[in-house]
Amino acid sequence: MRILIVDDDPFAGAMAEAILDAEGHTCRLVESGIEALEALGDAQNGFDLIISDMHMPLLSGLDLFREMRDRGIATPFVLLTGDDPEPLRAQVPGLAACLTKDASLEATLPAAVAGI
Amino acid sequence: MVAERGNAPAPAAPNKAESFQIRKARLRASFLSQLPGRLADARRAVAELRPGEIDHAHLDALYILFHTLKGSGATFGFRQISDAAKAAEQTVRNAMDSGAPVEAALPNALERMMDDLDALALAADVQVDPDVAPGFELPRSEPAAGQPSDARPGQSADRSQRMVYLCDDDPDLAAQLAGQLGCFGYRVRAFTNLPDLREAVEAERPSALILDVVFPEDENAGPRMLAELRSGKQATIPCIFISCRDDFGGRLQAVRAGGNAYCTKPIKMVELLEFLDRLTNPHPPEPINVLVVDDDRELAQFHATVLEEAGMVAKAVSDPEQVLGLLDTFDADLVLMDMYMPDCSGPELSRILRQIPGHVSLPIIYVSSETDVERQHKALAVGADGFLTKPIEPARLIAEVGLRAERMRILHSLMVRDGLTGLFNHNAIMQFLGVAVANARRAEKPLCFAMIDVDHFKAVNDTYGHPTGDQVLIALSRTLRLRLREDDLVGRYGGEEFAVVLNGVGAEQAKRILDALRTSFWNVTFFSDGQEFRCTFSVGVSDFPTFDTPDAMTEAADRALYRAKNGGRNRVEIAAAEDALPEPAPESTGTSHGS
Repeated sequence: MRILIVDDDPFAGAMAEAILDAEGHTCRLVESGIEALEALGDAQNGFDLIISDMHMPLLSGLDLFREMRDRGIATPFVLLTGDDPEPLRAQVPGLAACLTKDASLEATLPAAVAGI
Repeated sequence: MVAERGNAPAPAAPNKAESFQIRKARLRASFLSQLPGRLADARRAVAELRPGEIDHAHLDALYILFHTLKGSGATFGFRQISDAAKAAEQTVRNAMDSGAPVEAALPNALERMMDDLDALALAADVQVDPDVAPGFELPRSEPAAGQPSDARPGQSADRSQRMVYLCDDDPDLAAQLAGQLGCFGYRVRAFTNLPDLREAVEAERPSALILDVVFPEDENAGPRMLAELRSGKQATIPCIFISCRDDFGGRLQAVRAGGNAYCTKPIKMVELLEFLDRLTNPHPPEPINVLVVDDDRELAQFHATVLEEAGMVAKAVSDPEQVLGLLDTFDADLVLMDMYMPDCSGPELSRILRQIPGHVSLPIIYVSSETDVERQHKALAVGADGFLTKPIEPARLIAEVGLRAERMRILHSLMVRDGLTGLFNHNAIMQFLGVAVANARRAEKPLCFAMIDVDHFKAVNDTYGHPTGDQVLIALSRTLRLRLREDDLVGRYGGEEFAVVLNGVGAEQAKRILDALRTSFWNVTFFSDGQEFRCTFSVGVSDFPTFDTPDAMTEAADRALYRAKNGGRNRVEIAAAEDALPEPAPESTGTSHGS
């Protein structure tokens, strides 16, 4: 699967990339929602999945998700959050998954991606 | 803020060929290495907060910083860092949400949280990067490329394989102790609460625990935790308690819980290390050595056999005249002695032994058919430690000898150690040199003796104060102990002078080893009141058989050291045969080299 990872924290992003690389996916890592939109504009159909951090300056993960849908990009979207994911899940229908950003990501992320 | 973070070192470029575990480890290490930078950014933002004003800019920056730290900390499994960052994030969030001007108390509150984070970062650093050598920023002990190795592969790594869990609810102290123990080659994981410790112990058994006695839960929570762990699968895990309590109750609880040692705060590092070294020693204790003296050759041999079968090393001798010579090479823990022997009685032989300084504390037990209590007492008054009546039940013989020898060993190890450095003291190292020379002669093997003297040590004391001088000596003593083999002997000769006995090593090899140590020590940076300084040492080496008695070796090493000092210091000099000759004008007397 070709996956776009969006995270303003380069370490957390690189970790997600490492987890997914190990599963055999092809990843690209960008550091902001703006960069993500650019990447999607260049190759709209190039990605099978977007994985984005929630809290980012300027454009949050949620903003990015809504902006994508507004632009008619229907690529599945996984949101990562350092906070409790439940309220987000309830608040935002249409997410492929909403995962907690912690050490359990090593297990939950591949599982969520495999389910898509 | 984004731009600021852009200045932080990015994670290492991904290498797809690496396994996930290796990549993860690298990312974790990378995360930790830039953690101090992130925390410094946060401190700057806190310092720039403007109390009394509505300060969106700095609060936003802080919020993102703590939030990110919370996220990546959690991602890499640093739960305590993540939790602390979360608390700070929440504090900032509340300030932002209130919409009110920044309260005067906020910077202080955040400062305290930053202190916690700094401490946790330090502890995590030690926890994750245990293999980075050692003490006081010593560089790694790898020989330079092309240089022959100092023939001690794996020796210093030995100790670093010993994982120690440390739990103290004071994060500053935990981080500080973890950092110091890390410097001394231990792998340390620090915890600030008992549930985390229990979880870690259940996941992986450490070589030892260092446990506070008092926790917020209650004043005996530490011993209770140990008792709980010991009742499960971790029955044998050694534990050192640390506490500010020095009352009988605290010590009693610790002993009842099965604690092996008890150190009171403020922690004396050398003391803690002594206990740790002993408790985590991966080598089984040396068997007890017993010398059996009995004119009845068969009985001597019988007693020796009984002791050997119990796992001890026993030598039997039927002629008292041979005893002194034997003791030169056989490091006896105890002498089992017949009381009535035709040429020399037990009490006479005891008197002879007690007149030799090296044998004053050697335990002696008489064996005799003497049942007269008064005569027994008279015999003991000469300086013996016990009396066994023939015939002796083998079980009784083993028990009596084993108990006395064990206890004597502990007392002995306390007597022969230098208080500051934990190294052998002057007398002990000289005795060991004597034994080593005798062994080398018998085995026809080489042996080296090195005298090491810190250069310009008086200036260190004068400039930075004696406590700093002591730190230098402790650092050097640890360097020597960590870097040399377990069977090399290291002692504090006196003051700033150290002595090393290198078994089985010729002069050239000894020079290589000591040069490597010298370079390591030279690279150590010491800090005192914000000032940075370095120290060097000079070495004189003598070898057996070029010098064939302990006195000749000491003398020759001393002269070589004098030459090293005169030649500009920070160097190793090997004693040549002519160093055995007395110098025409002996400027150097004893061990004074003017450092």
